[in-house]
Amino acid sequence: MAAPPPVPIVVVRDLSKIYRQGDINVTALNSVSLDIAPGEFVVLMGPSGSGKSTLLHIIAGIDQPTSGSAKVQGIDIARLNQSQLADWRNQNVGFVFQSFNLIPVLTAAENVELPLLLTNLSRKERRQQTLTALELVGLADRGHHRPDQLSGGQQQRAAIARALVTDPALIVADEPTGNLDAKSAGDVLEILQSLTRTAGKTVVMVTHDPKSASYGSRELHLEKGELAPGPGPK
Amino acid sequence: MKRFLQFCRHGLWLLFRPLWWLLVWVWRAVLFLLWLVNPLTWIEWVTRTWVRKFGIGHFSFVIVNAVRNQRRATLTMLSVAISSGLLVSLLTMQRELTVPPESEAASLRVIARNKVSITQPLPAKQLPVIEKIPGVVAVSPFTFFGGNFREETVTSFAQFAVDPVRFKGIIVEGRIAEGAYEDFVKDRTSCFVGADTMKRYGLKIGDRMRFTGTFYPVDLDLKIVAVFQGTVDDRGVFFHHKLLDELTGDPGTVGTWYLRVASAEVANDVIARVNRAFENTSAEVRTETERAFQMSFMSMLGNVKLIIGLISSMVVITLLLMTVSTMSMAIRERFRELAVLKALGFRRTELFAFILAESFGLAALGALVGIGGAWTFWTFIDLQKMTNGFLIYFEVTPRIMATGAIVAALLGIVSAIAPSLAVARTSVVDGLKTLD
Repeated sequence: MAAPPPVPIVVVRDLSKIYRQGDINVTALNSVSLDIAPGEFVVLMGPSGSGKSTLLHIIAGIDQPTSGSAKVQGIDIARLNQSQLADWRNQNVGFVFQSFNLIPVLTAAENVELPLLLTNLSRKERRQQTLTALELVGLADRGHHRPDQLSGGQQQRAAIARALVTDPALIVADEPTGNLDAKSAGDVLEILQSLTRTAGKTVVMVTHDPKSASYGSRELHLEKGELAPGPGPK
Repeated sequence: MKRFLQFCRHGLWLLFRPLWWLLVWVWRAVLFLLWLVNPLTWIEWVTRTWVRKFGIGHFSFVIVNAVRNQRRATLTMLSVAISSGLLVSLLTMQRELTVPPESEAASLRVIARNKVSITQPLPAKQLPVIEKIPGVVAVSPFTFFGGNFREETVTSFAQFAVDPVRFKGIIVEGRIAEGAYEDFVKDRTSCFVGADTMKRYGLKIGDRMRFTGTFYPVDLDLKIVAVFQGTVDDRGVFFHHKLLDELTGDPGTVGTWYLRVASAEVANDVIARVNRAFENTSAEVRTETERAFQMSFMSMLGNVKLIIGLISSMVVITLLLMTVSTMSMAIRERFRELAVLKALGFRRTELFAFILAESFGLAALGALVGIGGAWTFWTFIDLQKMTNGFLIYFEVTPRIMATGAIVAALLGIVSAIAPSLAVARTSVVDGLKTLD
């Protein structure tokens, strides 16, 4: 007898997002439905304006859908208020951005520690957890450097450590290799891939690059706000 | 010709190069010293050391952000410092001009002047009537002479004609620093001078003081026989009223009556009785406490309170606009970072607290520097010398300092509101789209 399919960590149903630009309504997402299982490395691909970043933002709880629902770990995030969403994001989602978005006046370790300020951890526990996250991305020896003293690849690894430090189930990455050279991009993608394989994290990544997409376990293609039939699971 | 010009240019450069380098190094040294004395430098250093040892916290995060652009933070702090220093100075000036200094003995002194105007004299024959009023311990004529000392063109300290015997019972808080009061009583051409005036003009016992009359068409030539000290204003010169009577040829009038009452409790009763005693006479009097009298004297300067109040308000408004503008600028250039913080799970209230703490901290530091600086300046400066005797004390009271601090604190809070609202209104997605 086959094992029952795992409960999806992300369940999106009939999700639509319409932006109003002046007098015109622009449909960014049109009735999108999808499930993402725990430990998956889902890659969202598609041309510019296809709605992939919008979908990522809604799943991550930083944008609201116009209609439909997006449930992450069984919680319909569209129903949460601003404060509840903020708490939810801190505990459940790690963000990796294209331009790293580290705070320039803080060192890598301080940047990584930042999300932990919202937890009840003691100073010592925070430092320990920060160090663990930095070790995971191979940046423990560069923790006291400021972002401008790190290479692009190192900055992105610090950003991944920041995304990991609160131990979230879901990591969202918006074109994380867009500003990196091929070598650094490979390193970053390997880290993200290993997170799904060894730590059981779910990663949802937006990218234009087919080579980056090859690191994922599943590719989803979006076109004009709708999911297009793609290659599916690898 | 071209070679000659090149030669001259080169020669000039060789000549002025050492001077140029000297200027460059002096400028660098000045900048270094300014950096060294800047409190923000030390605050940042202490915070960084703390963070290195114990990790980042909410408070250290605020400080690190506040001083991230040290030049702007310093200029903001300095502008708050200068404005709050100015505000405190204006409030102190307003207080000094409208609330004259007061001694404990002043509460026992009462002044009776002509009801029509302070410039109208009173008849000397009123003296026996006042003396008989219950509660009056001593009474003396007290006439402002208003002469210019030596070659001066303004009256830089007051001279009063008094009855030496009666006057002794009125001024009780001072003490004789030099000479003897009895010598003053005996010699009709002598005077009794405040220690500040003696010091200011380098005078000594036996010297003569010559005054050119401005109110009265007569001049005075007085011999210093005694020096007093320990009153709230040790500048005045007192001389015999009889001398003034002789010089003016009018023994029948006085400027005002200076009374000492038995106790503060009977002061109001004495005032009422003195006023009543001369009702419906040709010289009705208006009697008031020394303090009230000084206030009415000050009102001759015009509505100083209103003018200084208006200037103070303008200072506060300018300060507010400046701080709001600086804070808005500082936050706008960090919109993206604040959006990242929101994405990481920081609530709007927490971001507001960060912005508020940053704005409040800079305003508080500025206020500390400004108010502390104003206090130090006005406490240790010789104001009497600086204002040619117009002001003696410029006391920056705790109340005024607290007012300055409250204004600065409110500015810090108010200036955080607009940037916080802008941050709250901007969604994470829109914030992330803003350019660094």
